[in-house]
Amino acid sequence: MLEQRLIDALGADAVKTAPEDLAVYAFDAYSEGKLPTAVVQPGSTRDVAAAVKIAKDCGEPIVARGAGTGLCGGAIPANGGVVFSFARMNRVLELDVPNRRARVQPGLINLDLSKAVAHAGLFYAPDPSSQKVSTIGGNIGTNAGGPHCLSYGTTVNHVLELEIVDENGDVFTTSVDDAGYDLTGLLVGSEGTLGMVCSAWVRLLRMPETVRVWLAAFDDVNAASAAVSGIIGAGIIPTALEMMDRVMLPPIEAAFHAGYPTDAAAVLLIENAGFEDEMNAHESQIRDVMKEHGATTWRAARSQAERDALWAGRKGALGATGRIAPNYYIQDVVVPRTKLPQALQAVEEACAPQGIIAGNVFHAGDGNLHPLLLYDRGDRKQVAAVIEAGNEILKAAVDLGGTISGEHGIGYEKRDTLTRIFSTEDLATMARVRDVFNPHNALNPEKIFPPGVGCAEVR
Amino acid sequence: MIVEAAQERLVPKTVEQLCEIVAECDRAGRSVRIEGGKTLSGFGPVLAQADLVLATIGLNAIITHEHHDLTCAVQSGVRVAQLAAALARHGQFVPIDVPLCKRATVGGSLASGWPGPRRHLYGRARDFVIGSQIALADGTLAYAGGMVVKNVSGYDMSKLYIGSFGTLGILTRLNFKTLPAPRRRRALIAPLPEATRSRAVSQIAALPVVPAAAFCVEGFGKSVDGTDDIDGRVLLYFEGSDEIVDRATLQTRSALGRAGVPETAIVDTGASESFDRSLNACIANKRGRSITYRSLGLPGTAQERAVGLRDVCNRHELFTDVLFDVMNGDVFVRASERDAERFAAKIGLCHAELRALEPHAVIVASDAPIRATFEPWGAPPPAIEKMRALKARFDPHGTLNAGRFIGGI
Repeated sequence: MLEQRLIDALGADAVKTAPEDLAVYAFDAYSEGKLPTAVVQPGSTRDVAAAVKIAKDCGEPIVARGAGTGLCGGAIPANGGVVFSFARMNRVLELDVPNRRARVQPGLINLDLSKAVAHAGLFYAPDPSSQKVSTIGGNIGTNAGGPHCLSYGTTVNHVLELEIVDENGDVFTTSVDDAGYDLTGLLVGSEGTLGMVCSAWVRLLRMPETVRVWLAAFDDVNAASAAVSGIIGAGIIPTALEMMDRVMLPPIEAAFHAGYPTDAAAVLLIENAGFEDEMNAHESQIRDVMKEHGATTWRAARSQAERDALWAGRKGALGATGRIAPNYYIQDVVVPRTKLPQALQAVEEACAPQGIIAGNVFHAGDGNLHPLLLYDRGDRKQVAAVIEAGNEILKAAVDLGGTISGEHGIGYEKRDTLTRIFSTEDLATMARVRDVFNPHNALNPEKIFPPGVGCAEVR
Repeated sequence: MIVEAAQERLVPKTVEQLCEIVAECDRAGRSVRIEGGKTLSGFGPVLAQADLVLATIGLNAIITHEHHDLTCAVQSGVRVAQLAAALARHGQFVPIDVPLCKRATVGGSLASGWPGPRRHLYGRARDFVIGSQIALADGTLAYAGGMVVKNVSGYDMSKLYIGSFGTLGILTRLNFKTLPAPRRRRALIAPLPEATRSRAVSQIAALPVVPAAAFCVEGFGKSVDGTDDIDGRVLLYFEGSDEIVDRATLQTRSALGRAGVPETAIVDTGASESFDRSLNACIANKRGRSITYRSLGLPGTAQERAVGLRDVCNRHELFTDVLFDVMNGDVFVRASERDAERFAAKIGLCHAELRALEPHAVIVASDAPIRATFEPWGAPPPAIEKMRALKARFDPHGTLNAGRFIGGI
């Protein structure tokens, strides 16, 4: 029997079977799946391998889970099965300061990694807004981004080596320095469908000498968008370049008191890091660009505390929306930077006719929008309207030359929309990879691929 | 008289033509060798003649450079230097740092996965690919990614194709995100006798302004920085604004001085050419009488690995040229002799010992006939079986570049 075999292999502490426990693990931040048959919390790679073999033997699907903060259903057990929660595998295993790298377990919380290496003057760059809660393993699964990936790159650019348990319960490692195919790069962003990460060597960066944060307010969203292009066009890639609009600013400021102007149409939060004289030069260049595009306010954060407050407001934006609506539906689309004004217009056009208010808080620097569609889940008409508007926004992003997910992933939510950007051949080619790593569809089934994309026929 | 059949070679001008040719070969059981700029033909095994050589240089259009968006798209047969020049017109670049960049193609460079000495600063070339198009053996043309700088839509197939040495398909198009080009480039060159090397390497690794590249070189004669000094020298490259480059110069001179290095020469005009020469040296052959090995590893162990490999070759009475990358840990050691016969006599035992010392070192350059007897890729990586399975799925008849890659793939 599945539960008994899991308990015998991992110990009773590592296995959950009580209905109230199982119910919790059916959810992630997006939605609810089927009740899992069991939940395991392995303590080691060996535990993971043993549990996978048992699950496979019992014909149960497997779903890996970090903190469950995923926004498109990547961690929900769509077909039930065994949920592998990595909460107990949450340590920094090795810190190699001279070579600027660390070996970590998948359940380690993202921000905790940076905190653990700060004493050595190092940090871990990928910083999704969920970083106080989300885990490295989950970040690897979705190739997580965040505001600072504008200049530092996304998770895949910081992963050096992975230790993976495959669908058979066998363990293998991949390193970016290995000869052969770049399986490391392939596995990052594969949303738990090709194997489970049990440990990873990740790259750490040196903390910069100086960090500056600036705020610019605009009366007009288009002007703010144009200012974004202006900075990039001037040859400056800041470490972060975020935008918030008039819907989001009041609740953010009410919750965080960071000094955001609540009457602006849009605010840009700009960060840059480097040497002091470089930052001075950039500050005057960026200020000129802001003035050129009609910024009504321009100021620099004068202290670490002020910088922290501004960032807390930005990263806590989703939570702050509780002040203005019972529920929100967050989108994740990317468009070429120069198409930002059209994209924001398209969000407006998708939502206004439906009577939906949409707030925007997003990574303007790389064209990655996060419209928040506000609604009340109790009102079925609003739910339908929000889904319709969401689809319109996805369509608009693709029409503008963009894509349907910048960092949240495809998961369960966006399977069908993959066909908007990829042909049957494109998807069948991806399915060839799945055929190798997940031939029985046991690893995180019903994710990424639209239903019906099966094994490609070999001509 | 036996006349060897001339190698059939086709140069398709369109992607559709290329797909048709490949599909036809796959159906007919004809083997295909993919040819880009032919700069890395000494990398890896000596191959039997294929039924057809398929050249990508006919696919040489720069499709678009959206300079306001910092993205571009090129066909795979565009030369690396050609792309660099086009991007430079709008003050941008993509860090594709490969030897012989005037001949190397973008597709071939990425297919080779050449790591690049500026990757610690900017990232690898593969980190800049935001989309790709590939022709598979059965003629399928598949697209992955897009034209935006962030994308998590399905598997990152581009990562699979990059570094695959053409064994999974033929890259036909690559989309890149670009960076603003640095205002200035400067080279700092100093003699570096072996006694000062460890201290100098530590100082360089700790410089506040991070060098764009840093090489410790022994040998290579005039081909790297123009001196015949076999005692060793260090070449540092800095890029950025005037202030950054000037500050770096001051810091470096002072740091090298502390390490016991007295004189540092500044090269402004010609810094880029110097950088290219360092790259080119990594695959430069001594006609018929040399083999160059590359070992990848931690920057902290680079000097030790370089010395280890060099000493093995010297014990076998072979000449050595050594170049190691201080920032990333890449080590290149070229073993050679005065003539092909002497080389062939000595290299066999030397190679065996080198392999025992560095099981994962690969042969990146050689035109010596003797090299055909050596396994160039070293020990297979842990996940080799998954790699073989991928090959079987993507190219079940083994049509594309058979035997080119590790593990006989």
